[in-house]
Amino acid sequence: MHMGIIRDAMLIALAASGIGLGVNALMPDGLPLVADRPYDLFVPCPEPLGTVEALEPADPRLRAPGTLLVDARDEAARKAAPLAGAEPVPFDYLESVSREAVTRLAGSGAPRVVVAGDGLDPDSGRELARELAGQGLKNVFFVSGGAPALLRRATREGVAP
Amino acid sequence: MSGWMAWRGHAWLGLAARLYLGGVFLLACAHKILHPEVFAVDVATYQFLPLWAVNLFAITLAWVELAAGLLLVLGVRSRAAALLVALMMLAFLAALGSALSRGLELSCGCFASQGAAEDPISWRTVVRDLAWLALALYAMWLDRAPLGLERWLNHRRPRS
Repeated sequence: MHMGIIRDAMLIALAASGIGLGVNALMPDGLPLVADRPYDLFVPCPEPLGTVEALEPADPRLRAPGTLLVDARDEAARKAAPLAGAEPVPFDYLESVSREAVTRLAGSGAPRVVVAGDGLDPDSGRELARELAGQGLKNVFFVSGGAPALLRRATREGVAP
Repeated sequence: MSGWMAWRGHAWLGLAARLYLGGVFLLACAHKILHPEVFAVDVATYQFLPLWAVNLFAITLAWVELAAGLLLVLGVRSRAAALLVALMMLAFLAALGSALSRGLELSCGCFASQGAAEDPISWRTVVRDLAWLALALYAMWLDRAPLGLERWLNHRRPRS
């Protein structure tokens, strides 16, 4: 290969890199040349996920004896609009549900576990329910529309959520 | 062998290869230039480069892609541009192979940042990159008198 081609390629790469660095320096929201902290990476792990069924907020199984309601929302959302009697197990998209939480729910002896999440798309309640079912819990459901749907229904009917 | 190397059809096949590759690289660089912060996350997701090199790579690579793509399309220093494309393809193949061998499920990040569900890397991505590497090598080794702006300007230049 001609040395001229290699020399030209190096010059092109250097010039283009220089332009890139210059443009980045001029941009008000340019990247720092070296990241000051590691990036939060979301690389899906092969988590075992189970199949779960959605329950409407009006479904009688929600209030049936033995139903354990699980709140998948974060602490701030739970404090702002609490679900009475719900077991808090905050769902995190980056971390698997802890073994302790699964053991605690399994140890409750409840014949049915219903997870209420943020009601967004994707719904943290559905995701946590799938993860719990994948960890071996039986009869796991999630509330369609999540905690907001439960709270709306409770407000409409004038009962505690 | 020298007869094959000197075949005049290489100029036309080389032009087609250069236009295609140049188009691919111009398309690929657009999102990276407009959203370097998103591309940096894509680079980091491969877990291939050390943290100190991630931003530098994300900032500069897109502009090298732009330069190589433009030069390939215009036919200016096109063999050098093809060499750059070949080197970039080798780097991408190494990163892809490393990610696939570790079982990482992630987005390619080649054209636009998408989730792993929409644009997952796979061995098909490797085959595609190998094909692009072959085109770049063809343009570098066999397109020895590239059709394009540089050749046209040289022909117009009065001989002294």
